Amino acid sequence: MDLEVKRDRLVFRAMGGKWEWGIEPRYWRNPLIYISLLILAPVVVYFVYPALLATVIDANLLAAIAIPLSLMTLGTGRMNFGPQFYIGIGGYTAALLSIHFGLSPGMTLIAAALAGLVFGFAMSPLSIISGGLYYTLLTLLFPLVFLEITFIYTDLFKGDTGLAGISSLVSVGFFSLNQLVYAFISLAMMLIYLFIIDKILRSRYAVQMAAINDDEEVANGIGVNVNKTKIISFVIPAMMISIIGWFYAHYYGTFAGVTFLPLAFMLKILMVIMIGGRIQIYGCIVGGYFIAFLELLLIRTTGAMSPVLFPIILLILLLTLREGLFGLYRKRHYREYLPTLHVRR
Amino acid sequence: MLVAIETTAIYTLLLGSLYLLVSLGFSLICGVLRIFHLGYAYIFIAAIYFTWMFMDLFGWGLVPSIAAMLVIQAGIAIAIYKGLIVRYMKQEEIIITGLLLVAIILEQAAMRFYPIQTGVYLETTVMAGISKIGQVTVSNQLIFAAILGIVVTGLFALFFLKTKLGLAVRAISYDLYASRVMGIRVEQLYMFIMVLVLIPVILAMLAIAPVWAVDPGVGWGYMMTAILVSVLGGLGNIKGTIIASYIIGLCHSTVAFVIAEPRFMGLSALIVVLIMLIFRPQGIAKSETVW
Repeated sequence: MDLEVKRDRLVFRAMGGKWEWGIEPRYWRNPLIYISLLILAPVVVYFVYPALLATVIDANLLAAIAIPLSLMTLGTGRMNFGPQFYIGIGGYTAALLSIHFGLSPGMTLIAAALAGLVFGFAMSPLSIISGGLYYTLLTLLFPLVFLEITFIYTDLFKGDTGLAGISSLVSVGFFSLNQLVYAFISLAMMLIYLFIIDKILRSRYAVQMAAINDDEEVANGIGVNVNKTKIISFVIPAMMISIIGWFYAHYYGTFAGVTFLPLAFMLKILMVIMIGGRIQIYGCIVGGYFIAFLELLLIRTTGAMSPVLFPIILLILLLTLREGLFGLYRKRHYREYLPTLHVRR
Repeated sequence: MLVAIETTAIYTLLLGSLYLLVSLGFSLICGVLRIFHLGYAYIFIAAIYFTWMFMDLFGWGLVPSIAAMLVIQAGIAIAIYKGLIVRYMKQEEIIITGLLLVAIILEQAAMRFYPIQTGVYLETTVMAGISKIGQVTVSNQLIFAAILGIVVTGLFALFFLKTKLGLAVRAISYDLYASRVMGIRVEQLYMFIMVLVLIPVILAMLAIAPVWAVDPGVGWGYMMTAILVSVLGGLGNIKGTIIASYIIGLCHSTVAFVIAEPRFMGLSALIVVLIMLIFRPQGIAKSETVW
């Protein structure tokens, strides 16, 4: 066993193996450190200030929506402005099946994922037939139309008040302990999404997606099956986001479209992506926690003025952080994969 | 049945003309500036609530309040152009998100200071009372709004087709680089367009404020209509916008009066646009040109 202190790193040798550790925190790239911090955070919060657990759950879920959305943006080469549509699909599927058929959360999870898959597949041709801006405009409209439908069919969706009486995902007796379990489930979901999408982004499919993102015609020319890649990149994230809708329904015990389908919720997700790290999946986690805690802080400190101040602060951050919060952490500028909305020639 | 058809025909004209006012600005911004103005909804909110603010806070009359609102609207448009659009011309995702945030800031501010329950009423009625066209009863103010829509669109078309300034705008919409080479002051013209597009929206809001409900979220619904019309017509093309406005008007009035299910108005228009997109992905008219 040997420990060597070098100028910029510690080198630890034992049993024929060698481990290096950068001394400066900015070189601490090992994701395990941050994952450990994320796992530790709910436990600390539980003992110090349990009321914050709801915000931790919120942050995890925002990041869990933003991560697959980043993949969708990358793979289709277009910005989807209506990811909350799939939250609505997953949430309402879970809520309706749980209330009317008494299905367990495990069964509703399968149903919500299937519903997300089906709707995602039905909507996916949009990424082929409509160009950049047209696609953005239409995806923006879908959740708003869905919201309208929830108001039209109030017998089914219960309009403003939403569906109540959805079975709980967990019940361990105490409220704060329940919250802790929910925090871990939401964290697990986020980390699973992060792991899956990180793997995809390190595979050859990511290169194909990047090619589509840069230029579809060129990608087609070099042998990338553009349509297939686009559809897969659309459908899988749609299903993943639907599952978050399922979680929302079982977590709150109620589900109302008016909470998730309006533009205000979409804006939050968009800001998680933009302020977090501009389509960078690790940045989504930073963004999720930042947005959730900023909102809470503003509500606590400024009260009724917080809905006005919140977008003002976000606007300032959007214009000042060129590569988002995650960009502050990164040393070098990374390749931008955020699709350009082709409006100008 | 005959009454339903008559009602549909009349309301197609009325709604179509009104949608012209609502979507002309959006279409022009997309066509000339090549910007997806996701903050377009703020213009509707600002038109009503700034006017009301001057009347309520300072006790000014309607006309001075409208004049002050116009000054503020122009100021906001210029600030958006210089602070956001010029600086981030190549990063449209920032422009789009920023514009959306501007609209949300104004909506939330309106909601904070003038919540729905306080009620906002602007007495901008020009033609009071109702008229009977055949067997259909229509509000005179709505007829006025429709006439206004046709007149303003006509003036816009004349401006773009018959004036030198309009020719310069068309040149920019055809080819930005060539326009610069020909000596057109593109930046100034962009700013001019940003202010110009306010006119139809403000006129629409002032015309319909006495007859239709107004609340801080009113802009989003109108923006949705503007998006549908612009996508259907071909982004930025006035000719396409005119045709699309009446198609959406026809769709809305058919659903409301023939099928008698007004709840499906939004949904039906979206389906029409989607079907059209399958067959003509660039919209009815050739997009990326003003006319």
